Amino acid sequence: MTDPAKTEDEGGPIRFMPQLISLDYTVRTNPVAEAFGAALADGRITGHQCPNCHLVYAPPKGFCPICTIETTAEHEVPVADTGMVTSWTVLTPIQYTGQRERHDYALASILLEGADGTVGQQRLLEIPLDEIRLGLKVAAVWAPPNQREADDRGYGLGTAVDGWRPTGEPDAPAADYREHTL
Amino acid sequence: MELLYRRSLGPVVGAFLTGLRDQHVLASRTGAGRVICPPLEYDPESGDAVSDLVEVASSGAVTGWTWVSEPLRKHPFDHPFAWVLVQLDGADTSMLHALDASDMAAVSTGMRVQIRWAEERTGHITDIACFEPEALA
Repeated sequence: MTDPAKTEDEGGPIRFMPQLISLDYTVRTNPVAEAFGAALADGRITGHQCPNCHLVYAPPKGFCPICTIETTAEHEVPVADTGMVTSWTVLTPIQYTGQRERHDYALASILLEGADGTVGQQRLLEIPLDEIRLGLKVAAVWAPPNQREADDRGYGLGTAVDGWRPTGEPDAPAADYREHTL
Repeated sequence: MELLYRRSLGPVVGAFLTGLRDQHVLASRTGAGRVICPPLEYDPESGDAVSDLVEVASSGAVTGWTWVSEPLRKHPFDHPFAWVLVQLDGADTSMLHALDASDMAAVSTGMRVQIRWAEERTGHITDIACFEPEALA
């Protein structure tokens, strides 16, 4: 691909100008996301368990959207850093300006052990793209401790986890993930 | 988040940036004879179109300045510097740019400064890397 910043013929008159417009966002965090982020920095994934329906939400929302009741730190439960693939997609990165990806890669939704909902947009590592399958058992590959930054809004796992690698265990049976496929 | 725009420049600004790439500074001359640098496509006093481009010097005098003691991420330097208005010799107006000065005491209105050209010039205002005190030359 041609360099998008280069819009002119070499030595010819300048007709166009590349201009990079930057937008900075400051996001106010909330206590639930903050506690989840602190646990992530510590290498732990936590969820909130609804006291009424007992579903475990990871990351925690601070409420159960089904029962519409608040959940707090007292409803915090540990969630494993292992789980199974419930859906995935292979992305071919278009080389637009600022694109850091160079090769096809896979993002998956992962059902963590101890949670009742999946975590989306998780990178799959150490597996050929054509060997990814539903029910694949995976384990977190944690980022170095000083690079684990949570999403301040409480979405996903931020930069705490680099991706997920196959554990080598037998695949989970379809009954275990059927409710969670897209 | 960053978005890259590709802006068309037109005959006046395009010529100005072409000049910078080639280490010439162009200005527009109005019907009344005022020399405007950086050039405008119109005379700000009459609104008439301006197409007469003239070259001005690459050095001039500071007409106004402010000291930046704590540079921000998007600033051109990671050390303290001054934003300056520079009236290049031959121009009747001033252009805003950064002055690489050792400290605030080294900056004054009326001081002589010159362009420090960027090593790699692409036809952008950053082809002027910054201004520097003329005495350093």
